[in-house]
Order: sequence, then structure tokens, then C-alpha cells
Amino acid sequence: MPSICFYFQVHQPYRLRPYTFFDIGHNHNYFDDQKNREVLNKVSEKCYLPTNRLMLELIEKHQGKFKISYSISGVALEQFEAWRPDVLQSFIELANTGCVEFISETYYHSLSYIFSRDEFKKQVDQHRQLIKKYFKQEPKIFRNTELQYNNELASVIEGMGYKGIICEGVDRLLGDRSPNHLYKAPNVQNIKSLLKNYKMSDDIAFRFSDRNWSEWPLTADRYAEWVHSIAGHGETINLFMDYETFGEHQWAESGIFEFMRYMPGHVLKHPDFDFKTVSETVDAYPVRDTYDAHDFISWADTERDLSAWIGNPLQDESIAKIYSLEKQVYDSGDKLFIDTWKKMLTSDHFYYMTTKYWADGDVHKYFSPYDSPYDAYIYFMNAMSDLSIELKKKPIPKLKK
Amino acid sequence: MSVKKNRNKVLMFGWEFPPVISGGLGVATLGLCKALSPLADVKMIIPKSVPNFDIPNIELIGLNSFTKEQLQDLFNQEHEYSFHEPKFNGKSSYGPYSKIPENEFISQKFYDVLHEDIKPFEIDDLYAGDVIKKVIEFARISVQYSLRQKFDVIHAHDWMTFLPGMELKLRTGKPLVLHVHSTEYDRAGEHSKNWVYDLEKRAMELADRIIPVSHYTGLICERHYGIDRNKIKPVHNGIEAVKHTVKKSPFDEKLVIFFGRITMQKGPEYFVEAAKLVLEKHQNVKFVMAGSGDLLRPMIEKTAAYGIGDKFYFTGFLNKVMLNELLAVADVYCMPSVSEPFGLSAVEAVQYGLPTIISKTSGVAEALTGSMQIDVWDVQKFAQYIVAALDYEGLKKSVVEANNHSLESITWENCAQQVVDVYNSIWEEYQA
Repeated sequence: MPSICFYFQVHQPYRLRPYTFFDIGHNHNYFDDQKNREVLNKVSEKCYLPTNRLMLELIEKHQGKFKISYSISGVALEQFEAWRPDVLQSFIELANTGCVEFISETYYHSLSYIFSRDEFKKQVDQHRQLIKKYFKQEPKIFRNTELQYNNELASVIEGMGYKGIICEGVDRLLGDRSPNHLYKAPNVQNIKSLLKNYKMSDDIAFRFSDRNWSEWPLTADRYAEWVHSIAGHGETINLFMDYETFGEHQWAESGIFEFMRYMPGHVLKHPDFDFKTVSETVDAYPVRDTYDAHDFISWADTERDLSAWIGNPLQDESIAKIYSLEKQVYDSGDKLFIDTWKKMLTSDHFYYMTTKYWADGDVHKYFSPYDSPYDAYIYFMNAMSDLSIELKKKPIPKLKK
Repeated sequence: MSVKKNRNKVLMFGWEFPPVISGGLGVATLGLCKALSPLADVKMIIPKSVPNFDIPNIELIGLNSFTKEQLQDLFNQEHEYSFHEPKFNGKSSYGPYSKIPENEFISQKFYDVLHEDIKPFEIDDLYAGDVIKKVIEFARISVQYSLRQKFDVIHAHDWMTFLPGMELKLRTGKPLVLHVHSTEYDRAGEHSKNWVYDLEKRAMELADRIIPVSHYTGLICERHYGIDRNKIKPVHNGIEAVKHTVKKSPFDEKLVIFFGRITMQKGPEYFVEAAKLVLEKHQNVKFVMAGSGDLLRPMIEKTAAYGIGDKFYFTGFLNKVMLNELLAVADVYCMPSVSEPFGLSAVEAVQYGLPTIISKTSGVAEALTGSMQIDVWDVQKFAQYIVAALDYEGLKKSVVEANNHSLESITWENCAQQVVDVYNSIWEEYQA
């Protein structure tokens, strides 16, 4: 009985404001509250609210047969609570249906797994607490920022008690094997890896409104036919995508909402097919083979590696410096410093600094609030300089005996 | 179907040409010529050639080398002369680099030149004195000479050589290609509706192809001269690779440099304003303004008025050797040009491994995509970039890396190949 396993990523960073060198030493407010609020409002209206409404409708209509999973970053949930409690409420309503599962990730949507294992564990725990608080669930499945993944991570996550982990189904690792089964890393006991079917995910997330695409316009019943065609040689189609696909990346005018409204019905017409959440998928199907990701993979760009966040001089310097403040920040014992520092670990800051313009540039340009990667870097470095100066001013609290 | 013509015979007209040179035009014309020589037969006509300066495979003809007898031979069988003189709109500036007061009617010049006795062409400084009169004399002689030559295509560099280009196109029907290194619009801004502007416009209208040195300049041809965009084919300049050594700076402070003519077009004022902002935060830095021009004194006065004169070096005009010395010890290069058709000096700075801050209103911004790019009026941003390039190693590295990557394709060979492609696009049209 093959399944569709939907997981939607919801994330909004705290973008830095154009923090100039004139601000250093005077102004300790680094984040662009106004812009962050504006973006949140815009995306809430265009995507989160209408899409949540649609998902609720689908869950009710299909009476338990339509199920989905979300991973919502801690910084996104914080911003919902502060500025759009109605959006947070609509996610809680979805949680209450029993057909929605929430996935574990780093609270700050950070690269901490790579740069500080301590900080990584702290952030995963912090995120678990938040998911429990709002949605009354204990996440059983983990996904790392932007599906950054390797064998070692799978094993670390297994050690932290998870039974499944999400990753990209990368051609160069799969060879001629299908992503539509469960796999496992070569170095783990039981934890199962769910591989994104990037082709069928991207049909919705990237190509849906592309008029040059040979399949345009994609209809719900056509897509359901593709889904049904895996009968007999696949167990789960993992459709993983940014939630902002609905209404933001693919505009409402493209027909994306109508597509989503009718697609589940068409899929369910075939009696052998159903929808499962991520942990149901892990429970339902056995591991079929080994997925050996020795090096890091991710879901970004054509390379599917870390090159969107790491590797150019801007990124390398700013990442090295911000993580080098870790001890000082915690030693300060100051909640505001700690929170500010963590917000600066969010991966988006480094993504904005990518200079891969020539090949993959369009995507980055679309997602960057700044004119150039240089600006993104300069504002970050200026803010970090100020944070560093402030930290030095602060006396280190004496340890209690 | 693409028709690959045999080697094109190119009749080229230039004004500046090394070693007689006063600006980037000469360097560019020579660079293109050299790189074209393996691809086409080039006959290059210039006002002034110097004995013993030869370029392999290029036939270099300086009008100053014609003797009186040779000229008389040419003009014995002179066809009736019919310059299509552009309409004259009154007095105005016309020098490529400076404003020269002009009171005479230009039609009178045409009359004078065309009715003068034939005498050897003499020119000292290419832009001194009555340039327009020299331009007309140059046209008169070079057309007579050219009518007796074999060529397939006429290629003229900047307005000083557009007259013979137009005349020959009209007389022979051979295609005319205009190479636009700068326009009157760049030099004089919105107030450029003068005789030179009219000449440029008429020539562009008549030309088969226009090769501006950048898309930026191509847009000026389209928007300010009303030229059909389909015949505008931008080709970036190249640069000759140089080996250089970065030296240890003898200064304690970091050096931020600006070089070029100190004129409105180059935006020296923005440099001073940005420096003022930088110095509010950053004491360990000095600014160098190298070059001369009509705004040099006002800039010196401005820095004095701001109380930052001690942080500025005004070097005056620097020759190539001195300039290279400066580049070797500098830390940041700035080119805040208000309007810059290309901006080869930015590429020179790149060759010295400097992080570069350049204006978006420059052609070179298209080629050096990894440079820090500013709107010249955004002095705050300009200052930000200077400080960041001084303080943040990652930025400096990143800009230099990107620049070096761009540098690989900024060659005269690429430029020449594209120019040949432009010639061939004309033949394809003729065939079609």
C-alpha cells in the first residue's frame, strides 16, 4: 500500500537590518523588526493562513485519510507568537486534528551541527520544548537545517533517540535506485532515512507555474496518475518542500491552491494509496537498502551540498567568528546576549552571502533582502563587532561555590 | 545560414594612438588593433604617427607623414567634396576631455578647410587649439586617400573620426561600424546638444553597426541618441596582462585611492564626501587623489574646509610608472564616476589585486560583476564599502577572488573576436 508522505518546511529568520559602521558602539538592536514583521505579515496572508485553512479542509473532507507533517523553526514560531498569533493558532488547530505531525529541528535553523555539537544539542532540545508546548507532541523524526545530512549525523540523531531522519534523495548517491523506499545509513542500528523525491517535489515546488515546462499546466488528476504509476515498485513518495510554495513561490493565480485542493482526492481514488505522516511512514515500511552519504548533502541548488552556506571568504570568516564567540556569550550569563547570538547563527544570514550568482543566482537573489552578498556580510560583521565589544564590557559573573 | 567571410579588410580610423596618446582611447584602439591582426587585415589611419613605431600586420598611416607632393597627387583627381555637415546648434563644448570655448560657426570651418590649399597635415597636441578644424582637415585628407584603397568595412573610433567614416560610407556604399568609447553625453551630460552631439547622432543613424564599449554606453546610444537597438552591439574592452609585484607600503596608514581626470564626470566630489564619513570612524587611513583636471583645486579646498586635508594626498598627474607604484602600495581602489563608458583603470587596479569600489553607472561594472558597486550619490554606502574593505578580510578576499575570475575574460583577444563577429553579422544580413 504505497503512501504519499508530505513534509512542509516553515521558517522565517530574524533578518539583520542594514547595520552600518556608524551604528557600532551606539545601537545594539541588530534585527530589522519592521522588515521581519512585514515579511511575516505578507507571507501569512499569502501563504500560511490560506494554506492552513486548505489543509484543515482537506483533513476534514477526507476524514483521517489525508495526513501531513511540518517542520517549523523555533524562530518562525517565536515570530508567529509575537506578531501573528492567528497563524500560530491555525497550526495548533491543525495539530489538534491528529492528522498532523511535527518534526524536530534546530530552534534557530542553524548550521550548528557542523560548527558546534554542544550548541546543536541545545538547539534541538530547545526546539523540542517549544513543539511540546504548542502542539503537545514529542517529535520522533528529525530533520537538519536545509536537509543537511551525512552518515555521521544519522548516527548522532539515532543516539538522541529518534527513529527517523529526513534527507535529500541525491542522484549521485542513489544511482539507479528509487527514492521511494526507506533507507538507512551504513553506520546506524535502526534509524531510518526518508529520502526526498526531488523530482516529484519540484514538480510542485518549482515547476508548477513554469509555462516553458512541457507538463504545464499540471493538473491534480495528471499528478495523481504519476503517483499511481509507482504502484508495485515503491512504498512512499516523499514530497518535501517549503511551505511557502503555496501562495508565495507559486502565486495563488498559478492555480496552486486548486491543485492542492483536488490532488489528494485523485490520489485516494486508487484504493491502494494513502497519505502518511513521517513517523507513520517510518513505522509502516522496512529499510530496503543502504544510503551512504559520506559527505554532506542538502536540498539546496543543483549541487545539493553545503556550498550555498559555506565556502566563500565572506561565509567562512563570518561563521568562524560568530561561533568563536560561543564561550564568551554563555559565560556572560546574559539572556539577551545569548538570544542575540543564537539568532545570528541562523543559516539564512550565510545564505545571503553566497556569491554563486553566475549559476544558481536567481534563487538566492529572490530570497535575499539585501542588494548584494557583500552588504549581507558587512551588516553581519558590523553587528557582530558591536556584540563582541558589548561582551567585552560585561564583567563575567563569578561562579557560585 | 552563417556565412563566414574571408578575412575582412578593415579600414580603420583612429585619433589617439600610442605613443601619441592622451587618454584611454589610444590604449584601447591599439589593443584592439593588435588583437585584430591575426583575424583581419587592418589599415589604420591616424592623425599622427611616429617613425619606427610599427605593429606587426597592421598598416599604420599617419596623415602627418604625407608629403606635400603626395597630397597634391591625391587631390589632383579630387572628386567633388560633399561632407554632410551636421546641423549646427550654436556654440558649445566639444573637446573629448575639456570644454573649449567655440565662437565661430562650424560651417565656416568647413568652408575654410575645403577651400584651403592642400598643405601637409600637422597636429601637435591632439586636443589643443581648434580641434574641430583639425577634425575636418583630417577627414578631408583621409577620405581622398581612402577612396584609392581596397577595403570591405569602415571602422571609426569616436566622434573625431566619424566624418571620414560617414563620407566613405556614402561614397562607396561600404558598411560603416562606429566604435563608441565615449559620447558627448558622458562628457557634458544633459547639456550635450551641441555640434559634436549632432555629429555623433547623424553618424550613428547612418552606421550599419555601433560597437559601444559597454551595454551601459549602448543604452546611452539608444536612449539619448534614439538609435535602433538592433544595430548596437556592445563589446567590452580588454586589457594587456601585466606581471606586477605588490610592494610593502611605506605608509603606516591604509591607502584608499582615486585616479583619473579630476572632472565632474569622474565624481571626485563623492570620493571626498565618502572620505569625510570614513574619517569620522577610522583614523588610520589616508586618501590619494591622483590626476589633474578642472576640479582639482575645488577638491583641495573642500578637504581643507572639512579639516581633513592632512588625510589627503593630491599627487597631480601621474605617469604610468608612478601610477603603477601607487597601485602597488594601495589598499582600496575607488571609481565613483558619474558616467563612465568603460573604465579601464578599474581593471588596472584589479590587476594589482586591489578590492574595487566602482559606480553602477560605468561600463566596467558589467565586466567586474564581483566588485563592490555603488550609486554615486549614495555616499553613505560608498563610505561603508571603504571601511569594510579596509577592516574585513573576508570581503577583501571575496572581491579580489571574483575580480580575478572576471579578469580572465577581459582580454583584447575576446574583444577582437567579438568585433569580427560584428563584421560578419553585417555580411549575414547582406546575404539574407
